[in-house]
This record gives sequence, structure tokens and C-alpha cells, in this order.
Amino acid sequence: MAIGQAAAGTPGGGSALGRALAPLLQPRTLTATIYLLVSMFVGLTWHVVLATGLLLGVGTLIIWIGVFVLALTLLAWRGGAWLERRWVRAMLGVHIPDPYRPLPAGSLWRRARVLAADPATWKDLAYLIVLFPLGLIWFVVTTTLWTLALGLLTAPLWFWIPADGGMALFNDGVRANLVVDTLPEAILAAVAGAALCVAAAWVVKGMAAAHGAVALALLGPSQNQLQARVEALQASRDRAVDSAEAERRRIERDLHDGAQQRLVALAMDLGMARAKLETDPAAATALVGEAHEEAKRALAELRDLARGIHPAVLADRGLDAAISALAARSPVPVGVDVSTGRLPDPVESAAYFVVAEALTNAAKHARAAEIGVRIARHLDLLIVEVIDDGAGGADPAKGSGLRGLADRVAGVDGHLTVTSPPGGPTVIRAELPCGS
Amino acid sequence: MRVVIAEDSVLLREGLTRLLADGGVEVVAQVGDGPGLVAAVDAYRPDLAVVDVRMPPTHTDEGLRAALEVRERAPGTAILVLSQYVEERYAGDLLAGGAQGVGYLLKDRVADVGEFLAAVRRVGDGGAAIDPEVVAQLLGRRRKADPLATLSPRELDVLSLMAEGRSNAAIADRLVVTDGAVEKHISSIFTKLGLPAAPSDHRRVLAVLTFLRA
Repeated sequence: MAIGQAAAGTPGGGSALGRALAPLLQPRTLTATIYLLVSMFVGLTWHVVLATGLLLGVGTLIIWIGVFVLALTLLAWRGGAWLERRWVRAMLGVHIPDPYRPLPAGSLWRRARVLAADPATWKDLAYLIVLFPLGLIWFVVTTTLWTLALGLLTAPLWFWIPADGGMALFNDGVRANLVVDTLPEAILAAVAGAALCVAAAWVVKGMAAAHGAVALALLGPSQNQLQARVEALQASRDRAVDSAEAERRRIERDLHDGAQQRLVALAMDLGMARAKLETDPAAATALVGEAHEEAKRALAELRDLARGIHPAVLADRGLDAAISALAARSPVPVGVDVSTGRLPDPVESAAYFVVAEALTNAAKHARAAEIGVRIARHLDLLIVEVIDDGAGGADPAKGSGLRGLADRVAGVDGHLTVTSPPGGPTVIRAELPCGS
Repeated sequence: MRVVIAEDSVLLREGLTRLLADGGVEVVAQVGDGPGLVAAVDAYRPDLAVVDVRMPPTHTDEGLRAALEVRERAPGTAILVLSQYVEERYAGDLLAGGAQGVGYLLKDRVADVGEFLAAVRRVGDGGAAIDPEVVAQLLGRRRKADPLATLSPRELDVLSLMAEGRSNAAIADRLVVTDGAVEKHISSIFTKLGLPAAPSDHRRVLAVLTFLRA
């Protein structure tokens, strides 16, 4: 009743009432309610899984199986946290970025060590442990509020059903002192129920916000990580600006030294031909022929230059077509396996230039006999891999091509790894985030 | 032969018109975009439409799309698509409806006036003209157990020219051999690649391209 009065006593005015009712009408309240009800069971499940996994793992550590069990448990909870992030985003509308450090390429053992050293892994564990007690609170409060509110609201429909006459709202076992058994009482109960619904929506909103905050704190990146990320972004932006500048200089040079020189020669040939047209027609014809050839070479050069800046086929037909065309032009046989549809332009562009540069390197420096290109989407990452059987020994620190590539990949927030032991094989791998 | 030109660059449009007129081809209409081409073909029913791939408003491949629409509305119209760049995929779109009266050439080829006029006539007469660069892309594609490896260098030359849409006589002329020698090479190629013997020139182009793209 007190709650009902509080709600009824809200000062009048459409906007204030509208604001008070807003949470009740938002679809988010429904999804949040579902989330709050389910989280206890999710938490309970993780308690069972984690207790079993960790105890079993520690117990069998002495016979080595434990290592395997523990690693499996760790992977399971990382996966659980990953799922939980998406689930929280879908139901509570709280966006939590994955805070993980990039995993290195290499042996399973090396990956496991990085995984275990990542603080995010342990915060994931803490979250899954906290999920059950939190979920328990959410479950109790949510069920109590909503059943009471909906029960009261619908009182006029069923107050006459109970055999002993009326519905006991409060019963201390000795005497029922608050019983709804007449229509006016039922209507009063319905009004209170309606008010309670509004209140329940507000409480749900509050609990959802509280849970969102806990999830963000435990599942999200830490302050240090955010700081490091800002610095990394700053650095990659600087390099992207630098590399764009270098690219513009290269284009300018190519235009001046290539096509423009050819056009100068062409104009010269034509000028001389015109001068000789009357006096020496044979020489003039030869000069015109030369000018013709020069013009065709200039055209070819301009076409190559344009393709190097941005291949039209990439924009029109996507990665598969563009990479196939690249492969067909390569002097070394290239096997292509592209299994992805259209992606955002910057991602397609970065992937294309990774492959283009890697193919050039493999053919020019590594003296490879065979190259493989594989592009596949893995969750929200695009994985680009170029493998060649050449001499190896490629070093991003030395070659400006590979260095520029790393900058280009960093420009779209991706990650480039080059594995190239002397003697080969060379594996160039780019991981490019492509949205979810 | 009556021709419609669709090209948004006025300079090139005028140049093409002059070049074709000099070569004895009648240019009945010039337009600057895709819808214009479709309307002009409806109005003039030309034998051939010469189409630039990139035209307003998006400057991507509306020429190609307009060409495909023309082929659908007026199937008898031959199409010669010109482009600043050629890629095998676009050729695939264009040839999906057959290789009869289809051409796909790099714009640069206009510079070789004689060759270009020959290609225009070939396409207008229901033949094919595929840019050597596209053919090179197709031939450059590597595959496991490459059947092309069984061809002799001479046979590869003949295969390239055949894929470009050239007739036996033109191939013989280009390679400076007799018609009979070309025929012998071609039947050997078809046997080695397991291709069905094709009667006419354009069917042969289609067979070869289908094989190369597979």
C-alpha cells in the first residue's frame, strides 16, 4: 500500500508521469527481467562446472592429467565469459569490449602461458563465481516483485475463485487480516498492483544497471588496459598518417618519373614529326609510330599505378575476385582460398594489400616456388594468411614493405605477425577485426 | 554497320565516333549514361553498342549492367564493352549469356586502330573479342594437375588467340603459319583438354573460356 500511495502521490503533469511510466513500457525491461531471472541458473551451472573442473584438475595434477583438465576448465571459463559479454549486451544493452591480450602464434604451451598470465582470464573467473550469489538476489527480488504486482493487478479476475472466500494477502496463520473478497477490494488491489508494476520496472532497471556495472568491471578492460589501448591507438594513428604521407610521395614520384616522362617523350616525338612532315615524310612516319608506342606504354603505366592505389575490382566485386586477379598476375603459382562475403571497405582494402605485398615479397625476395593464400572469417576477426615455401628470413624491422604493411593493418586495429625462420617457410598472418 | 556509343567522357566519345566513321561504321547515336544507352538501343535498334564500363552516377560498373539490360531487351544487339581496367570476373558476367556478339576490351586497345576496328566488326558480326589481358589472367591461373602443362608453347599461343575470339584465318595470320597448321593445333588442343569439338568461332571461344574459368 505504501508503494501504491507513493506512486499515486507523484506530482501531476504529463511529462513526470510519462517519465515514471517509461521503464514499464521499454522492451529493455522485459529483456532485463529475463536476464535477471536466468542469471542465477547460469551462475549455478558455472559453479558446478568450475568446482568440478578445478577440484578434479588440482586433484589429478600429480598424474599430469590435471594440467590438461585445468587447461580445459580455463578455456571453458574464457568461453563462458565471452558468451556472457554477448548475452549482457543483448539483454542489458551494456557493451563490453573483449579485454584479451592478442594470442601469439606458436605452440599450444606458449598460448596457454599467455592465456594464464592475462589478468582478464582471472577476472573472467571471478565474474563467473560472483554470478551465482548475485543471480540469486536478482532472482528472488524479481520473482517476488513481479508475481505480487501481476497477482494484485489481476485480482478482479479471480478474487472470487478461492474456496474459503477471498485471497489472503497476508496470513499469519492465526487470522487472515488482509483478505480480498469483495469487488471494491479487488479493484483497490488492482490499482495497487498497477502501481507496483511501475515500481517493479524501476527496480528491474536498477538491478540491471547494477549488474551491468559489475559485468563491465569484471569482464571489461581495466583502466591500465584502456590507457595502454589509447597509447597503442595513438601510435598506430601516427604511423597511419606517416604511411599515408609516404604513399602520397610514392604516387607523386611514380607519376612524375613514369607516365609524365613518357608523355614528354611522346609530345617530343610528335613535335619532331610535325616539323619533318613536309621535308622527310618517312622519318615523320617513324616518329609517329614511336609516339604511338610511347602513348600505349604510358597508358599501361597509368593503369598499373591506379591499380596499386586502389584496385577497382576490389570495390566492385570484393576480396575473392580481387585476390584471384592478384594471384593470376603473380609470376609464382598461387593457390587461393577465400571464404568470406563482402566486408567493410577498410577491412577489404587492408586484407588486399597484405596479400599484394606478401605476394610481391615472396616472388621478389624469397624466391618461392609456391604460395598459398587463405582468407577466412573467424567470429568477428578476418584471418588473412599467406604462406610461401621460399628462403625465409623476412624481417619487418628491415624491409619497409612489411613495416608499411604492419602500419596499414594497425590502421584498422588489426594485428600482423610474420614468422619467417631462415630456410623458410614464411607465414604472414593478419588478424583484422571486421565488426560483429 | 550501325552503332550506338555510350561513353561519358566527351573527348573519348568524339574520338571514338570519328575513328568508327573513318573505318566505315555508322554511328547512329551517342549517349553518356546507362539509361541513355537502353533508350537509344530501343529507339535505333543498332547492330552494335559500344559501352564504357564506368559511367555516371556511381562510376563503378553501370555500363556493364546497362549492357546486360540491353542484351535482355534486344537480344540481337551485339555488345562491345570498353574499360579502363579489365578483370576476368567482369568478363564472366558479360559472357554468362553466351559469347555471340560479345566483346570486352581494355580502352587502350583503341590506340591500335586497325585491330580495334577489326574487333568491332567481329563483334558486330556475332563473333567475340576478349582482351588479351583477360586471357592472360585466365591462363595465369594455377591449378593442381594443370592440364595446360600438356600443351606445347605453340599450342598455348593458339589457345590464347582462340580465347580472344580470333578466327582460324586471323590466328594463322598472326602466327605466320598456314590455316591448315592452325586447324591441326586446334584439334590437338581440344583433344588434350578434353573439350567437345565446337562448330563456330564464338562457340569455340565459350568452350575455351568455360574451361579456363573452371
